[in-house]
Amino acid sequence: MQEMPDDSPPETMVQAWIRQPESHSFDEIVPQLHDFHYFHNSAYRAFCQSLGVDSSVVRWRDIPCVPQSAFKHADLRSFPATETVQTFRTSGTTGEGFGQHHFRTLKVYETAVREGWRRAGLSSGPFLVIAPHPEEAPHSSLSHMLATLAAKEDFIAPRGVIDLNRLRDLSVPVCLLGTALGFLHVVERLGAECIVLPAGSTAMETGGYKGSGRYIERTDLYTMIDEKLGIAPGNISNEYGMTELSSQFYAKGPRGLHESPPWVRAVVVDPVTLQDVADGETGILLIYDGANVGSVVGIRTQDLAVKRGNAFELLGRDPSVLPRGCSRAADEWLTS
Amino acid sequence: MADLMSTAHRAESIACAAEPFHPLLGPTSGQDLLAWVAAELGDACALDRWFTHGGARTKALAPDVILHVVSGNTPHAALQSLIGGLLLGSCNLVKLPGSGLDEVDAFLSRLPAELRAMVEVSVELPDGWLSSADAVVVYGSEQTVAALRARVVPGKTFLGHGHKSSLGVIWHDPLFESCPGAARDASLFDQQGCLSPQVFYVREEYPGSARQYAEKLASAMDQFSGTHPRGPLAIEEKAAIANLRAAYRFRAAGDLRVALWEGGAHLDWTVIYEEDAWFTASPLNRVVFVKPLPQDLARAMGPAVDYVGAVGLWPCTEELADRFAALGPSRFCPVGNMQDPPWTWHNGGVPRLASLVKWVDFEPSSGLTV
Repeated sequence: MQEMPDDSPPETMVQAWIRQPESHSFDEIVPQLHDFHYFHNSAYRAFCQSLGVDSSVVRWRDIPCVPQSAFKHADLRSFPATETVQTFRTSGTTGEGFGQHHFRTLKVYETAVREGWRRAGLSSGPFLVIAPHPEEAPHSSLSHMLATLAAKEDFIAPRGVIDLNRLRDLSVPVCLLGTALGFLHVVERLGAECIVLPAGSTAMETGGYKGSGRYIERTDLYTMIDEKLGIAPGNISNEYGMTELSSQFYAKGPRGLHESPPWVRAVVVDPVTLQDVADGETGILLIYDGANVGSVVGIRTQDLAVKRGNAFELLGRDPSVLPRGCSRAADEWLTS
Repeated sequence: MADLMSTAHRAESIACAAEPFHPLLGPTSGQDLLAWVAAELGDACALDRWFTHGGARTKALAPDVILHVVSGNTPHAALQSLIGGLLLGSCNLVKLPGSGLDEVDAFLSRLPAELRAMVEVSVELPDGWLSSADAVVVYGSEQTVAALRARVVPGKTFLGHGHKSSLGVIWHDPLFESCPGAARDASLFDQQGCLSPQVFYVREEYPGSARQYAEKLASAMDQFSGTHPRGPLAIEEKAAIANLRAAYRFRAAGDLRVALWEGGAHLDWTVIYEEDAWFTASPLNRVVFVKPLPQDLARAMGPAVDYVGAVGLWPCTEELADRFAALGPSRFCPVGNMQDPPWTWHNGGVPRLASLVKWVDFEPSSGLTV
């Protein structure tokens, strides 16, 4: 096993591993990250100790998963605060504040974005982006991720105003990147008009509708994109990511499954026992992100998924799937 | 309108059919129902005959057809609404949730034929129901209520009951006597009802007393669970509770202002103590928060202050009800009785029968006495 060198930060090792994941197994790298986090992150250490887990973990699956919401309440930074170069923030709900994910270098993050994109077999560009540029949204991990893939001039919705002419004037195939809400705005702005983008164009949509009070099924959104922009549903991908992670998952087509890049493990587990569910069963997603060098590796998400072999089918947090009476529950605040 | 019986006759028939549902509805005798009519309409026979109204006489006119749209998995609202409609003598169209409601079916099967004929049920909303109804009563989310309100033509009576959050205030309880009642309030119907408390605010008469209350409440929740086990949970509900527990377990590991009591590995019940007074909505199914009572509770409620259903008080005094009037509930009641509203409760702040009827007045020729 390659030990983490004393004189170089773990980011260097992980960045090399992401570029060449076949060089080391997950169990060779990720338990070392847990050890690093345990010693440099007091909030994480207290959490581990409360569970009876110490710094030495042999198997990655024994690493405790921090609840996603912990990023709102604790400083999960595994390096001195003075070395912070970037902080991404979650959108946050009223009264709860927002989660923060700190970085002392963005090299690992950006490498994970590019390598994850490449390994998913997605378009190498050119790109057009329907989302704010990092200059407009400096704390958005999504904007930074998109800016890692696309150039500043590719962002076609400055200050939230979509320049439809950038779509109308296209002569070569393009890959459209944006939030699901952004695509919905494009469709609505087009009204009765349809733009058939050059053959071979693709799209990647991401993000939910939280806070917008709107929700559209993925299949319906893809049909709308097909009708309005001429991109077949099979050429549209969904990205699943979150501020608390450094890596992303992609699913191709309206019913595609999300797959992990080699430096990440996603496990669908029973929410109570945290044991793996059987294939085809529903549970919550635990994610072990080997690119999360500056924070924590294991995240217990709030998302539901169905285990499908080595991939997963994301069900998300659609509050409408919850049976309910007349009691106003937590989820409803998200949509009000 | 099916004007087949007098109000008293209908009340007796309904009471008889409702007998097995007292755990859901509370006491429901014919006298209880007539008292409800009398309280809201001024006379128990207001629908049957003229009665004195100021210097004239008046009579209540029930809507010919009432559409009840009930959602979710609480049968209370459906039964209460339907019973109100039957009591008025209206025909009732009942739109049930997709999965139906067994309790409504069972209740209908116990009605005499002439009353049973005044009810139609469907899990869909058939074309024409909205337009044929003279009054529409909707229980559901804000979105559901707003969507149906928009489809009802102006001039028709519309009563929308959106989701509500309830809470308890423990003002003075040095011996923790309210805990068994608080546990019952937070456990019955697995917190699905709008009268189910999600947070108990405890006035700290000495440092740490709110936390101590949480511990006692946890014990009471455990006891109640032993005799009244929680209903089955869907995977989404399990995940919501388990995730919340995990989140507070993480916080409790490094923050003494937070504590967690968990009832068993099967998510039987959960009590969370949190020093932060900000109102935290529960994922329901017996998850309840305990927080120290802040100076300005209405402010600590945040946006939830617009959705307060009931406030349980201990002790329940008019003085305390006035003190917390800014919360805007439609009901103050003792902790322990939150799940037992009387039929006369103004759900949503409105009289449920009186809001549905219209009135016709009769002024006799001069010289005649009324």
